[in-house]
Formats: sequence, C-alpha cells, structure tokens
Amino acid sequence: MKRFGTLFWLEYRHSWIWSVALLGSLAFWAWGIKQVRVMDVAERLGIRAGLLAVACAIGAVVLCLMIGRIRAETRNGQYQVLLLTPPSGYAHIGARYLYAAATAFAYFITIGFLYWWIMALAGIHLDPTTLVELILAVPFYAISVSVLPLLAWTLLLMVFISAYRISGPGWIPGTVMLLGTPFAFRWLVNGILRITYTLPGWRLFANAPAALIERFGSPDPETALQVDNIIYNGVPIEPLLIMLALTVVLLAVAGRIWQEVEA
Amino acid sequence: MTTDSWILDMDAGPIFEQIGRNVRQQLARGDLRPGDKLPSARDLATTLSVNPNTIVHAYGELEAQGIIEKRRGLGTFVREDAPVKTMRQNMLKEIVETFVNEVRRLGVDDEEAMAVLKEAWDAG
Amino acid sequence: MLARLENVTKRYRTTEGVRDLSLDFPAGQIVGVLGLNGSGKSTMLKLIAGLLFPTAGAVTVFGGSPRGHRSRTVFLGETDTLWPWMTPADASRFMEGLYSDFEPVRFNELLDALEVPRRKTKAMSKGERGRLRLAMVLARSAQLYLLDEPLAGIDLISREKIMTSLVREWHTDETILLSTHEVAEAEGLFERAVYLRDGRLALDVPAETLRQEGKSVVQTFKEVLA
Repeated sequence: MKRFGTLFWLEYRHSWIWSVALLGSLAFWAWGIKQVRVMDVAERLGIRAGLLAVACAIGAVVLCLMIGRIRAETRNGQYQVLLLTPPSGYAHIGARYLYAAATAFAYFITIGFLYWWIMALAGIHLDPTTLVELILAVPFYAISVSVLPLLAWTLLLMVFISAYRISGPGWIPGTVMLLGTPFAFRWLVNGILRITYTLPGWRLFANAPAALIERFGSPDPETALQVDNIIYNGVPIEPLLIMLALTVVLLAVAGRIWQEVEA
Repeated sequence: MTTDSWILDMDAGPIFEQIGRNVRQQLARGDLRPGDKLPSARDLATTLSVNPNTIVHAYGELEAQGIIEKRRGLGTFVREDAPVKTMRQNMLKEIVETFVNEVRRLGVDDEEAMAVLKEAWDAG
Repeated sequence: MLARLENVTKRYRTTEGVRDLSLDFPAGQIVGVLGLNGSGKSTMLKLIAGLLFPTAGAVTVFGGSPRGHRSRTVFLGETDTLWPWMTPADASRFMEGLYSDFEPVRFNELLDALEVPRRKTKAMSKGERGRLRLAMVLARSAQLYLLDEPLAGIDLISREKIMTSLVREWHTDETILLSTHEVAEAEGLFERAVYLRDGRLALDVPAETLRQEGKSVVQTFKEVLA
C-alpha cells in the first residue's frame, strides 16, 4: 500500500500543474458565462449550458493529454527507472490512472456546480435531491461512460506505442489499436444498445420537471408525457456497468504490457 | 601516515605485493614503527580506491611474515617484535644491488663509480 | 551464484548486442566489465537487470528470472534519469516508498560525502546528478549492483568521490559489475576483469593474476581489444 501511495504521490508531483490548470480554467468559463447577455432567459440558459458542454469536451481532451505523457518518459529514461522498481505494472498504471480519474472527478463535479449556478441564474430553483443528482450523480454517470474508459484507452494506446520500441516497431500495435477502435467501438455500442433497459434504469431528476414548470410554466401535454416517460425509465444502467468493466479490462491489459517490455 | 606513502603502480605487479613492500619500506625508513596502528583494511582500501579484498590479502601476507598482527577489537598493528633491522638490511641490499646493476649496465668501472658515490655521499 | 548467463545472444533489429555469452558471477566480487563502444557491456548488464530479454540462451539471477528479483538488484544506467523537478528529498521519498531496503539516514550521509546539492535535478550539473543517483543506489542494501558507465561524462573530482563511496559502501557478500571507459582510474577496484569484444567474451581473468604477469588491466585492455 505504501508503494502504491508513493506511485500516486509521484504522479501527483509530476502532473499537479495540469490539474491546477484544468480546475483553474473553470474560472475562465465562469467568467464567460457571466458575459452572456442574451435577453431571453431560456436562450441565455441554453448558451451557457452549451459553453459548459464545450468545457466538458476540452476537459476530456486535456485529461487525455495529461495521462498520455508516457512517451516523453520513455525518451527521458524515466521509464527505465520505474520499470526497475518492485511494484507491478498494474500498480504503476493504476496509480497513474487513479490520479487522472481523481482530477476528472474534481473537474466534472465542479462543472456540475456550474450547471447549478447557471440554473440558479435563470431563476430555476432545484430541491436538494435534484441538486445532489446534478452535482454528483450526473458527473459520475457521464464520466463513467465516456471519460473514464477514454482515459484508459488513451493510456493503453500510449503504453503500446512506447512499449515496443526496442523489440519491434512500437507504432505497429498502436496503429492496429487506433484503426481497430472505430470498429470495436461500433460493435460495443450495438451490443450495449441491445441490452439496454434489461435492468431497471437509474431514476434521476424526478423533481426537475416541477422546478422547470415553476419557472417556465407548463409545457404541452405531449411533451409532459414524454418527459414523464423518460424520467420513469431513468438512465440505463447497462452502459455504466459495461463501460466501467471495459475500463478495468483496458487498465489490466495496459498494466500487463507495461511491465513486459524492454527498456 | 600520509596517503603519498602509499603509491601504487598498476603495471608493477600485484597490488597486494606492492602494499606489503610499502609497509616494509615504511618500517625500514622509520616512517612506521613497531606498535604503530595501521589503517583498517577498509579504510586503506577507501583511501587508495582499491578492492578491500586486496588489502586483506596484503595484510594476511604481512601477518604470515610476522610483521603485523590483528588485535581483537582494536585493529591491526605493527608487531612490537617486527624484524625492522632485517627489513632495513634487506632494503639496503636492494638499493645497493640496483645501484650496482645500473652502474654495470652503464659500463663504468668500479673506481669511478665509488668516487662518484663518495662525492654524492659527502655532498648530501 | 548471483547471476549467470548461459549461451546468451541478444539480437537487435540490425545488430547483435551479445553473442553466445556465458558467464558466472558469484557473490562478493567486484567485476570490471570492459570493452569498446558497442562491445556488449550495456547489453549484458541490462540483460542481467531484466531490462532486456535474451534472443537465445538463459539469464538467471538469484536462481530465477531477472525481473523477479528487482528488489535485490540495483541497475544504474547511463540513460535512466530522474524527473527534473525532483530534489534529493523527493528522491529519498521515492526510494523509501518503493524499496524496503533503502535507508534515508545513509542516503543523507552519502549526499554529504558526495557533496550533492539540495536542489532540483534540473538545476544540477551532470556530475551532481550522477552522484545523486549513486547515493540513491548505495543507500540500498542490495546484493547485486549493475553499474553501467557510472563515471561517464563526470568530472574528475566527482569520479574520485564516486569510487571512494563505492569502496566504502561495498559489503563483502555483494557483487558489483561495473562497466567503464575510465579503466585506469577504476582498475584498483576490480577483483576480476571481463573483457568483451563484438559481443563475445574476449578474456575473463582475476586482476591480480594479470598484474602478476606484469600487466595492468589497462595494458591488457589495449592488447586484447586493440
């Protein structure tokens, strides 16, 4: 445990500037949100929500860049130093991933707060349950199905590329992985769609419609019915479970490869 | 005991022999006296940047020759009864033999050699 | 036997690092691994460290696979570097957290003996960095030390400090394999000299035996490898 903690500490010392920059950039987005001065409330809210969506996308990209810096390490010889330490490749990969995941959580939870903020600015008052769902549950679900597997995939790709420099061209497995990903991804999505909602969904935002109605008035009955349906079904649990499982598998493969290569 | 008293030449034969010769020379010259403490094998090895085992070997030989002894818990010492006189005589013989050989190789005759020797001796 | 190579060949894409190399390294020896550039010195040390895998033959360390005994082995390479932001204190934290045989007190003593400044490595000279890395490995109690050109590109004073520390810290049951171009400086350290030429073993002989025949390790180097 001490060893894993040391590896995590190493990753933190190595990457803390990235984390600070990422979280600090949210101040910039907050400022940007304040600058939106469209008259119509709904439109303003929409634009602000869009800005935050962009912040989400940029955050995901930056996190991938942060976690993918193994190549530089290989060139600089630090890979050799790490490879000679007692912990397994799983521990090394795990520590690196955990740091990135922790940063991701901090970032996206803060964005959850920002969503709360822009809603408050629009006069929508959410009750505590919905707030917790917005700030914790939604980020957790959203990054579990998207960012977390993406980070694991990036890590695996970089391990492939840096791993096989000596005993073979490193770019071959990496290229294979890159080329194969769209197909694998499509196969995965199809598979997930087929089994969605076999398990009961996760009900979120049960109280949200009431808050929206309070602010904007009732929508037409058809829309109200659709919304009720969606909320009743909840978000599907299967994608969450599958993507989390996929993340673990990708990390395990990355850990195994990391320690089996020459340096 | 200074470091310059231990000069090693890697082309001049095994190190352990050089160390032994060094100790005998120092005793002969009086730089080292019976009862004096020698540096530990490790310390001497560190000073000279030499494998400690080599020093241990050297000290072992000197011990076998009755020149030094290990006193438990205290270190390595020159024996009180170390044959200093014999060592001085041997060293003197060595120096003289070298002189004679070099002079012979020069092709100088005995009288001239002795004259130069006396001159140098009186001057020094 | 701490390390053994049995008919080991390592083939790279275009060259062979070592060819059909067989050597035994028992406990308690300081061995000089000598040869010209490209003779296979680094390759051999990396094979023993488990950083490279043999193309043919077997490498056994402590009776098992090299990677499996990382905690008893030290490898100090030419290209392994620390992170630029690391200070000696960080290095101590790193080592202490990952190696159970690392002694922080001894590390600090070695830092003082080797006069390593307490700065980030990016603010250190090459010699200072080399001394820091040496302090890191000497503060461990490993049994097998694989030092690949630890004196390369390092100033004379640092080299002397490094060798003094090596002699002082060596325990009689440890084995050090030291490859270096500074053969003359390090000659006194070696109990045994292994000469490699073009990836093959050219000569394997006790150093004092060479000197018994009136030749230094350096002299033999010129004869065997010229």
